[in-house]
Amino acid sequence: MSLRAAPRVGLVIAVVLLAQSTVGLDLRIAGVHPDLVWLLPIAAGLTAGPQEGALVGFVAGLGVDLFLPTPLGLTALVGCLLGFGVGRATAGLSTSGPWLSIVAALAGSTAAVMLYAVLGAVLGQEQMLRVDLGSVVAVVAGVNALLVLPTVRTMRRALGSEPTSRRRTLASGARW
Amino acid sequence: MARPRRSRRTLTTVVVLVLVSFTIITIDQTNGTHHLSAGVKSLASDVFSPLRNGVNDLLRPVGDFFAGAVDYGSLQTENQKLQATIGRLRMAEAERPFEQRQLQEILALQHLPFLGAQPTVSAQTTQIDVSNFDVDITIGKGRSDGVGYAMPVVGAGGLVGQVVQANHHSSIVQLITDGQSKVGVVVGTGSHGATAVLDGQGPGSPMTAVFVAATTALRKGDRLYTSGLQGAQYPAGIPVGRVTGTRVSAGGAEITAQVSPLADLGALAYVDVVQWVPAS
Repeated sequence: MSLRAAPRVGLVIAVVLLAQSTVGLDLRIAGVHPDLVWLLPIAAGLTAGPQEGALVGFVAGLGVDLFLPTPLGLTALVGCLLGFGVGRATAGLSTSGPWLSIVAALAGSTAAVMLYAVLGAVLGQEQMLRVDLGSVVAVVAGVNALLVLPTVRTMRRALGSEPTSRRRTLASGARW
Repeated sequence: MARPRRSRRTLTTVVVLVLVSFTIITIDQTNGTHHLSAGVKSLASDVFSPLRNGVNDLLRPVGDFFAGAVDYGSLQTENQKLQATIGRLRMAEAERPFEQRQLQEILALQHLPFLGAQPTVSAQTTQIDVSNFDVDITIGKGRSDGVGYAMPVVGAGGLVGQVVQANHHSSIVQLITDGQSKVGVVVGTGSHGATAVLDGQGPGSPMTAVFVAATTALRKGDRLYTSGLQGAQYPAGIPVGRVTGTRVSAGGAEITAQVSPLADLGALAYVDVVQWVPAS
């Protein structure tokens, strides 16, 4: 990620976190609210690769952790791993179509919620495994699948990436 | 074949970020350094809250629209019931303005009989369940108003929870139904009532009273109060819950009771923070 892109990406992160803590908390389906923070590392991983995905996931997660009673750093850790995982899993694939983004949002959000609950329980927050994880996964993944396309477009503009930039990596023979 | 440079850099970045995350988590979870992370969270909340509140006021119609769209069916039913109730009330007494009802809620908090002479800080709830994994509320009072970490919080009806994060102008209260909540309780009001520990089981699930001696005469409808025993997290005598069911353990050595909270946790517009700090 270039230094010029950092303020733009920071602005995108701030706007999404603001939306999460205002409109996001008002919207409840079966008592569960969306978790828009996972959209950021997913979008960054899809558009720019695992390194940018990990960085954006870490920063966005740390931003969310500052306002949650859960352990500081937990969301940052999961966001970092999520961004890296999405970036690595989609390396070399074309990101210009919508379906890859939607599948990545569904799978990534599901993995993030489960990993968050398990890591939280390992850190002593056992109540995280007593929550109805099925409902949380369904709502979070569903809403993120709906919002991933505009988020990917916005992140692509912020990072200055192109959809074909990943294919250059394949052509050079590099392997992650 | 050597790993390409970009691949090595990516892996290094991710490893560093993971290590930094674990370091931050360790600092937050260690008693000796927890105050550092708590201070950072408090500062972030103080800086971000005015912006969030301003945006919230602007976007409230949007949030209400989405909330209404999702809950439209249940809202319709509830609306019809409310209209019928309003019709009956209009016949029985004069209609009261909304501000007068809010004032009565606040006054009810001031006269909670179980608080005795304990000083309290009244606060309005500003957010509910910030995380999907915790049962908590955010209130609009903080350290500058006399609210401190671990202070008990009560609402009309009984115990609501405990302050787990006290920022400068706001605080987060963990409710008694949260999976991490544990309250020392006593059955009944007598000085020889049986003691137990009330465990929160998470959102939507009844609480569980454990370690109740098998010889205890515990019945459905019995009330539980905070025990206030040495080292307890709450002062004695605050009503907490009502027994809704009991079960004897496999060995017959103890009883496990299901308990529902006495405070209406679904209607916490205003709460009282009791300015009492646990000894430990």
